[in-house]
Amino acid sequence: MTNPAVAVHGLTKVFPVPFHRQSIIAVKDLNLRIEPGEVYGLLGPNGSGKSTTLKIILGLVSPTRGRTEIFGRDSRLVESREAVGFLPENPYFYKYLTGKETLRFFGRLCGLKGSALKNRINELLDLVGLSKARNRRLGTYSKGMLQRIGLAQALIHDPRLVVLDEPTAGVDPAGSRDIRDLILDLKRRGITVLLSSHLLAQAQEICDRVGILADGVLVREGHLQELIAIENQTELVIADASDDLIREVESIVKRSNAELIERRKSTTTLERLFLEATKNDKARISNEEGTTEKK
Amino acid sequence: MTNGENASTLEHLGASTPTKRYRPFSFSRIYAITINTVTELTRLKVFYVLLVFALVLIGSSIFMAQFSFQQEFQILKDVSLGAISLFTSLLAIVATARLLPQDIEDRTLYTILAKPVPRFEYVLGKIAGVLLLLAISTVLMGAAFLIVLYTREQAVVHTTLRQMSGAPPDQVADALRVVRSSAFNVDILPGIVIIYLKACLLAALTLFVSTFATSNIFTIVVMAFIYFIGHLQATAREYWLHEHSSGLLTRVFLAVVTLLFPDLQAFNLVDDIVAGTAISLAVFAKTAVLGIFYTTIYTLLAAFVFYGKEL
Repeated sequence: MTNPAVAVHGLTKVFPVPFHRQSIIAVKDLNLRIEPGEVYGLLGPNGSGKSTTLKIILGLVSPTRGRTEIFGRDSRLVESREAVGFLPENPYFYKYLTGKETLRFFGRLCGLKGSALKNRINELLDLVGLSKARNRRLGTYSKGMLQRIGLAQALIHDPRLVVLDEPTAGVDPAGSRDIRDLILDLKRRGITVLLSSHLLAQAQEICDRVGILADGVLVREGHLQELIAIENQTELVIADASDDLIREVESIVKRSNAELIERRKSTTTLERLFLEATKNDKARISNEEGTTEKK
Repeated sequence: MTNGENASTLEHLGASTPTKRYRPFSFSRIYAITINTVTELTRLKVFYVLLVFALVLIGSSIFMAQFSFQQEFQILKDVSLGAISLFTSLLAIVATARLLPQDIEDRTLYTILAKPVPRFEYVLGKIAGVLLLLAISTVLMGAAFLIVLYTREQAVVHTTLRQMSGAPPDQVADALRVVRSSAFNVDILPGIVIIYLKACLLAALTLFVSTFATSNIFTIVVMAFIYFIGHLQATAREYWLHEHSSGLLTRVFLAVVTLLFPDLQAFNLVDDIVAGTAISLAVFAKTAVLGIFYTTIYTLLAAFVFYGKEL
């Protein structure tokens, strides 16, 4: 039997409040098992214990009770981190380093050097689309660029598990979509992804399984499709249907014991609309710039 | 960047990454953190302190033109060594105080410690970076001071030779010996080493304080307090021992005070150097060992506290 990518056994974390008798229970008796190759979303509102759980899994915070493992190795052991790449929420990194220097620094921490490190840096900068900004200091990067360089450093040592804390927080829709695509590609390569988020629409698009935390307690967990499916309802999406056809379908439904709950026009998503609009806008601006230069 | 592009790039990822076996202790990891710390402090322009030092040197040289050469050399040594001591101490405290809190605030620490990096290696890397920066600063300030001292000495030698052009060679040689001995004495170099060790001690103590401090300001204020007490504690201790019996309890209490407030006055050899008093090898060795001992103890304490710190 293979080890799970992440195993959390009876995890409880209590933060004492200085000079007060009461304490804050951040996580309460949490049990999780994330299989290799899964994309697992830890969802919940702010303060529900998502980040604390991730920090304990990464060995940054010690549990009050229980234990966590990464590929069968106790999280408190430094070597368990060999297999993990981590992107914290809103990372800043060192503003005085360039993109290339940042990746070199993190690569060296993982024992990479020489041409292997150099090649890896080039590959990752290409992957996250920052090749042109490689020699710019991180102080000049936008939030989306910081998130992408953060993802690159998380992947520098080719980890088997990537932990992402709110990976798209504060990133614009286009940047957010890039990160989502990268996560889906990690999954395709068999890399396990554990992410925390409160952006539910996005989690729905990429997660295989989700766990919902509320006040430190796991209140729901399971395969996404099973959790969100409404057992007694079915959707039909029909293209180019005439009014007659629609009326006929409705009358068939009426004649049977079923009930038609809603009839509406299909809509695109706001995200898709935004991306198409800004894409066209960008194309128009670049055409105009090209015309101006020719003049 | 499209999904398809990512996919094609990802196909090749990992091919160039050799699998590394984890080593519990790695100099290359510490070296990476050390160099990064030096880069950080350099790009934060802490070396501007050296410019201030240069201004002090130039300013004092202009001011000293009105004195006899003995007075001039004495003041030059006094001002320069005092300034080196002050600036390295200041640099040690201010530069070190921000290292840990800044990494925690920016969450950079999470990213570093989420890699296979033991916490003590992180602390060692940080302190090594500061010590390297202090070494570079001390060497640059020391070199500037020695160059100015040598230039002034040569100027006085030329003036003396011109004034004594007709005098017998014995008298000229004597006069030159007086000039040279009042300018450069060999104790300057061990004196600078001791100044460096004092800065190292302060840096390690600052790092220790910053492991449990809540902000940079708190660390700097505590260190200013320790700096002040540290220069007075030897006098206070002597007074205490003179007035009270030295029972076991007193000695334990004084040992704790000495650990919390290191005897910084013991590192103050500038007055002796300026006065031309020779620093014996025994005094130098004792002070150097004290400096290294304190630096090591505080670094270990910092690593110990940081090891159990909740991030």
